Amino acid sequence: MNVVVCVKQIPDPAAPQALDPQTHNLVREGKLILDDSDSYGVEMALQLAEQAGGGEVTIVSMAPNGETSGLRTALAMGAAKAILISDEALRGSDALSTAKVLAKAIERVSPDLVLAATESTDGYTGTTPVQVAELLGLPSITFAKKVSIAGGKVTVERQTEAGYDEVECPLPAVVTVTAGVVEPRYPSFKGIMAAKSKPVDQLTVADLGLEGQVGSAGARQAITDVADADTRQSGEIVVDEGDAHERVVQFLEQLKLV
Amino acid sequence: MFEWSETQEAVRDAVRKFVEAEVKPKVDELEHGDLPPYDIIRKIYSTFGMDQMARESFKRALERKVSGEAPADRSEARGDGGAAGMTLIPIIELCHYCPGIVTAMGVSIGLTAGTVMKRGTPAQMERWGLDLLTLEKIGAWAITEPGSGSDALGGMKSSARRDGDEYILNGNKTFITNGPYADTIVFYAKLDDGSDTPVRDRQVLTFVLDRGMEGLEQSEPFRKMGLHSSPTGEIFLSDVRVGRDRLLGETEEETGGGGRESAKDNFVTERAGVAAMSLGLIEECLSLSVAYARDRELWGKPIADFQLIQLKLARMEVARLNVQNLVFRHIEMMAAGKTLTLAEASAMKLYSAQAASEVAMDAVQLFGGNGYMAEFRVEQLARDAKVFQIYAGTDEIQVTHIARDLLSRPS
Repeated sequence: MNVVVCVKQIPDPAAPQALDPQTHNLVREGKLILDDSDSYGVEMALQLAEQAGGGEVTIVSMAPNGETSGLRTALAMGAAKAILISDEALRGSDALSTAKVLAKAIERVSPDLVLAATESTDGYTGTTPVQVAELLGLPSITFAKKVSIAGGKVTVERQTEAGYDEVECPLPAVVTVTAGVVEPRYPSFKGIMAAKSKPVDQLTVADLGLEGQVGSAGARQAITDVADADTRQSGEIVVDEGDAHERVVQFLEQLKLV
Repeated sequence: MFEWSETQEAVRDAVRKFVEAEVKPKVDELEHGDLPPYDIIRKIYSTFGMDQMARESFKRALERKVSGEAPADRSEARGDGGAAGMTLIPIIELCHYCPGIVTAMGVSIGLTAGTVMKRGTPAQMERWGLDLLTLEKIGAWAITEPGSGSDALGGMKSSARRDGDEYILNGNKTFITNGPYADTIVFYAKLDDGSDTPVRDRQVLTFVLDRGMEGLEQSEPFRKMGLHSSPTGEIFLSDVRVGRDRLLGETEEETGGGGRESAKDNFVTERAGVAAMSLGLIEECLSLSVAYARDRELWGKPIADFQLIQLKLARMEVARLNVQNLVFRHIEMMAAGKTLTLAEASAMKLYSAQAASEVAMDAVQLFGGNGYMAEFRVEQLARDAKVFQIYAGTDEIQVTHIARDLLSRPS
């Protein structure tokens, strides 16, 4: 059971962030970390490979400046190898460009299953995984809260507003997993040390045969403007003059909560 | 080294995440309640595979002991492969919240298991060493007595009276970390062979005791100033009968220096450990203080704008840099197969412990009334930091060790 996990390396959300004033893109110059939402996919993949009694987990990622810090985290958790596509020509890529790049890289591995998070926690478009599936000609299931594999099929409990649907499709397939699908393991100290010597294949746009089709050259989507969100209004302060409970009830009635 | 390597940083990030998720939510129970730290310590061990690593290193140590091969001394040709860094990073991170957890862990693994592994026979290593190293069992290291702390070896009154092939042990030990909960206790006592050798000059023997032995009593935890996540207590021995199998090394012969040297073996490791603890505590006080100075407003502006506050922050940063440099130096020396001299290790501990106390008290002052309240956490760190100047050799003892080492060198 070979599983590919698509991961994104993002600027540390705990650190101050900035947008490039020209391109309106997030500045990604410093150290990048594994997007927390991707750690669920990595854990799911490791568990599925373990349950299947063999096979390996490959991490696929696209990032600027040959950044591997986030990949090392996934490798330290137990993934066998990683493919990193890093190329100046990828600057300005939109979601579809990213999907083209990831799909081409995934083709090289021919996995039984491709996992991804439902969306990244820096861009939040949430469209890349299904685009990857389409480009690869594979079925896809999104918002998985439980994943099991049996008899050449993947069965998923797909999160809905009311509960979940049970959905299945033949393998190979692309599945996006929600945060909380599994509890991601901490990398062991040995795992962290071993990750240093695990293979990371670094590929360029030319290696994938995608020249001129990706990056700003192939982008069909542009950010035209970025505006500050409205400042949150301060709340109403009710001074209790013996009628506060009535005011609270009125307020809740307005919201149709009671 | 002037910064953590990529691998060390990965270890730090993983441990930091664990501490934030598993330790931080329990700080109140650990520091203001009576939650013993052992389940958390065991979880750290299993989460990061440290229990498995301990099993492997135990196997190697046992094989070396059986074959009579010299222990892996850190010859210049062979450093520790970065092990010191890997050991100290979790210590630093835990000290952002609960220095006591480090003390409880350090005494069980470093002192208790360390002494059994170094001084024990292969049979004794198998009987007690592995369980201690993997934290299946919690260890206590009993040397200090009510009448002797800094003068632990000379002033020791606990006795081991020969009785045929066996010994009868008596004595009281106090300030014993993990004492109330320990499963295995390394116990130091003076040999009473019936001769009239003055007690001060008698040979020190080291025994291993198990919880529940007849005549062995372990007290409830003490109430103390700080370090509440490290339970401390007393141990009372009243005619505890032991065979030679519980005498570490199973001989009274002082190979490798005997009980006195056994107690001193730990000086460098222990003192470097306190420096790392100080670093974690200082880092936390500094980051809490910077955040508070920015947020807290007085007379319409953040207190960070006032120079007396800036002075405190600057002094904290100086302390952080100095202690970090000392810790980095120790890590680098160990990796190069070198060990700090007694003067260096003592100087490092003396400086770091004082710096931690000063930084933490400055943080309380910077926070003002809030600093005195538990909610803002610096009061706990200040209470905890004080013990750094007392245990593992008081400030005063460090001074004498530095001087003794310097003055004993050929002129």
